[in-house]
Amino acid sequence: MTALVELEGVVKRFGDFTAVERMDLTIEQGEFIAIMGPSGCGKTTTLRMLAGLEQPTSGTIRIGGEMMNDVPPHKRDTPLVWQSLALFPFLNARENVEFGLKMRGFDAATRKRKALDWLERLDIGEFAERNVDTLSGGQRQRVALARSLVTEPQLLLLDEPLSALDAHLVIRMQSVLTRLQRELGITFVYVTHSQSEAFAMADRVVIMSKGNIAQIGKPRDIYRTPANRFVAEFVGRNNILSGTVTTADAAAVQIETPVGSFTVTPEGPPPAIGQTASFVIAADLVNITETAQNTGNSLSCTLISEEFIGSMVTLFLEAADGTEFKVQVQERALGSLDLKSGNTLHLSWSADNAHLLIGETE
Amino acid sequence: MPRPNTYALTWRLPIIVWQLLFFIGPLLFMIAMSFFLVKNYRMIEAFEMKNWVKMFGRNYFWDSYWLTLWLATLSTIVTTLVAFPASFALAFRTSETTRRWAIFLLIIPFFTSYLVRTFSWYTILAESGVINAMLGTIGIDPITMLNTKFGTIVGYMTLTLPLVVVLQTFALANIDRNLVQAARNLGCPPWRTILTVIVPLAKTGLIVAALFCFILSFGDFVAPYYLGGSKPPTLPILIIDTTKSGQQWPRAAVVAVVMMVTLITIAFTAITLAYRKRASA
Amino acid sequence: MNARFLDWGLRGYIALVFVFIFAPIVFSMIFSFNSDRFPTIPLGSFTTKWYAAIWNDPDVWKAVRTSMIVSGCTAILATMLGFATAYTDYRYNFRFKSAYLALVLLPPTIPLIIMALAMLAWFSKIGASGEVWSIILAHTVLTAPFAMAIIRLRLNQMDASIEAAAWNLGASEWRTMREVIVPYCKPAIISALCLTAAVSFDEFAIAWFVSGLNKTVPVMILEIVQGNIDPRVNALGTFVFLTSMTLVIVAQVVLMTRKGVKG
Repeated sequence: MTALVELEGVVKRFGDFTAVERMDLTIEQGEFIAIMGPSGCGKTTTLRMLAGLEQPTSGTIRIGGEMMNDVPPHKRDTPLVWQSLALFPFLNARENVEFGLKMRGFDAATRKRKALDWLERLDIGEFAERNVDTLSGGQRQRVALARSLVTEPQLLLLDEPLSALDAHLVIRMQSVLTRLQRELGITFVYVTHSQSEAFAMADRVVIMSKGNIAQIGKPRDIYRTPANRFVAEFVGRNNILSGTVTTADAAAVQIETPVGSFTVTPEGPPPAIGQTASFVIAADLVNITETAQNTGNSLSCTLISEEFIGSMVTLFLEAADGTEFKVQVQERALGSLDLKSGNTLHLSWSADNAHLLIGETE
Repeated sequence: MPRPNTYALTWRLPIIVWQLLFFIGPLLFMIAMSFFLVKNYRMIEAFEMKNWVKMFGRNYFWDSYWLTLWLATLSTIVTTLVAFPASFALAFRTSETTRRWAIFLLIIPFFTSYLVRTFSWYTILAESGVINAMLGTIGIDPITMLNTKFGTIVGYMTLTLPLVVVLQTFALANIDRNLVQAARNLGCPPWRTILTVIVPLAKTGLIVAALFCFILSFGDFVAPYYLGGSKPPTLPILIIDTTKSGQQWPRAAVVAVVMMVTLITIAFTAITLAYRKRASA
Repeated sequence: MNARFLDWGLRGYIALVFVFIFAPIVFSMIFSFNSDRFPTIPLGSFTTKWYAAIWNDPDVWKAVRTSMIVSGCTAILATMLGFATAYTDYRYNFRFKSAYLALVLLPPTIPLIIMALAMLAWFSKIGASGEVWSIILAHTVLTAPFAMAIIRLRLNQMDASIEAAAWNLGASEWRTMREVIVPYCKPAIISALCLTAAVSFDEFAIAWFVSGLNKTVPVMILEIVQGNIDPRVNALGTFVFLTSMTLVIVAQVVLMTRKGVKG
């Protein structure tokens, strides 16, 4: 694989406000990369810099090996699918798709043929001559996508393109996007605040926080081995406990927390004794029972509430000192567990499933 | 919908009564008057086509008509083109504060005496006026600007330019900037966005501004009279001459009705164009 | 580099547009203090004789008095009607509402000369021509839409549930109008009074046609101008400018400062 996009020490300030503090990122040819983070983390600014709609304050942006810092937007081949879609209301669906071709000087017949091809490919051929105002959300979405892809770019930028759609349409569009990306073999940079979209589609996910990259990795790595507390919390469905290291060797680290002492298997070199450390235990890796388990890491909690989403149940519990715990189980795995709020339940987990964060506390 | 009660009607009715008595009434009466007769300087209520036949049969009426139509059209084109770069700059290239101040300043002249401003242009444009005096100091012979179409257009623009700039600025400032950026993202060079995106998006506002310009120019008598020389007279001047000196109110009413019909036609066309959505298949 | 050049160009262009718009006002003011009979440059000596001439002219005083009465009465009537209409549009929906609004808002789009002729004919028909109050009636038709627009914009900023909140607290509709809506609209009402007065004060076509012997200041200017070049026009014009500009600026400042407080 070869690098298509390279960001090196990219900084973007708007007056006193720093939108992107430092960005170093290499995106491979043909990769589907998702950039996510809370609002104001700099993800959209990063995307706009790739499109040339903003110039970096410092650092360099290269696309296909070429220095892009001062290249104006219209001289790049970096179409953007806008959050608002930004379809031209005075043009019909086909004319919208033709726009980029027209700017590149294609003749009318070629433009029309290519535009119709793309509309057909996205299953909206029949709406080609319709005014875009009369199309549904999903159809407009497809017009926007066709408009960006018709020039056959190397790189497609997407700015929360599905945020305005109904939930069932989001799933449909996700599969359309992944299929297209695989078929075309082009690079997608997809900005979103939705974890499910990012994890479902992306090869790699970039988590941003306050203008910095918090972690880059495969969805599974981000989920199972968050690099820091921010990522662990942002990903949700995680329980985080903090305390002091009491014993440590390559096989096991013992951490003393306000709710008890727990063992964690370190993935790297163990921390020093006396150091502060946290560990993450994912909500779906916690066992829950009615009777106390005396083996390994265990803890008694009071059940506060429960939440059913389909076959998955999330239980919200509270330890003696008020620390909150989340446990996620299959509904059918609950068995005869008595789920009355106020009941005491017992949590346990394997030391191998806990993930150590050295030096991170609240 | 609640049934109207005393309270509701207190606020709703006065303007209806007022406008019927002092707006619709006069206009309808004027239309009726165009069929009246004048004998021995006295108006007789009648229903005769005489005034219409007489006015339509006169060459000077048609000369005036085409001149007025042409001057108003010219004024609309020139004012729209002159105003656009300024409105564009105010909408896209200045801060919110500057824009507000500029609009504040543009509104002031709209509410100040147009008559005195036109007279002031007279002294500026005259053969020995300010401009020619200045040109004289650098050795250029006087240019005749009064009693020309140029003079008339300057006068019209005194009335219309501030209004057109304000309306255009509002129209342009309301454009969704994302669409302009989307065009750039799709390969459109900065200059080209004006014609491909900005003008189509602001179409309604731009046409309404032009329509106001046309109506104001078409109905103005001060500029063509004092700055344009009134040869031949425009329709508004014709109304004044016919009313004031000829005491031929019914014939003046014919001219006024013709003007109204023309304006309604043009306004209707313009508004249809302004709000026309593309036909959907 | 290129963009900065363009920005300066555009700024210069805006400046030119403003020069065009304000040149006649400025020159009129300068020439009102110029001794030469025909105003041009180089300027003659400084003089106040044109002001003295209009100050000592009883006809001017009479015209000023008529203008004041006309614009004052017009402002009050137009603002009352404009308020009632704006409130109706804000509060109620009814059949033919668009026709109702068209009826109110149409007059400023009709050329003044046509309105003038129509008013002249109508007022002589009903035997009211040549009276001061016939000018007032006509000017009210012309200016009420401006008052309506200003007050309507203010009502737009009002919290939609404020009126209902007052009813809920036990105020009748009339009481709510007096205690809540009118106070809320006060800046817009003052502004509307000023702007309608300014429009009426400057209007000359209708006033000229229907005034008869009761000339207003603009009608007087029109008649002087028809004679020949007379610098008294500049003096009178400066007076007219200052009056209407004061009204317009007061109107805008009242609106803007209240808006500023609101944020």
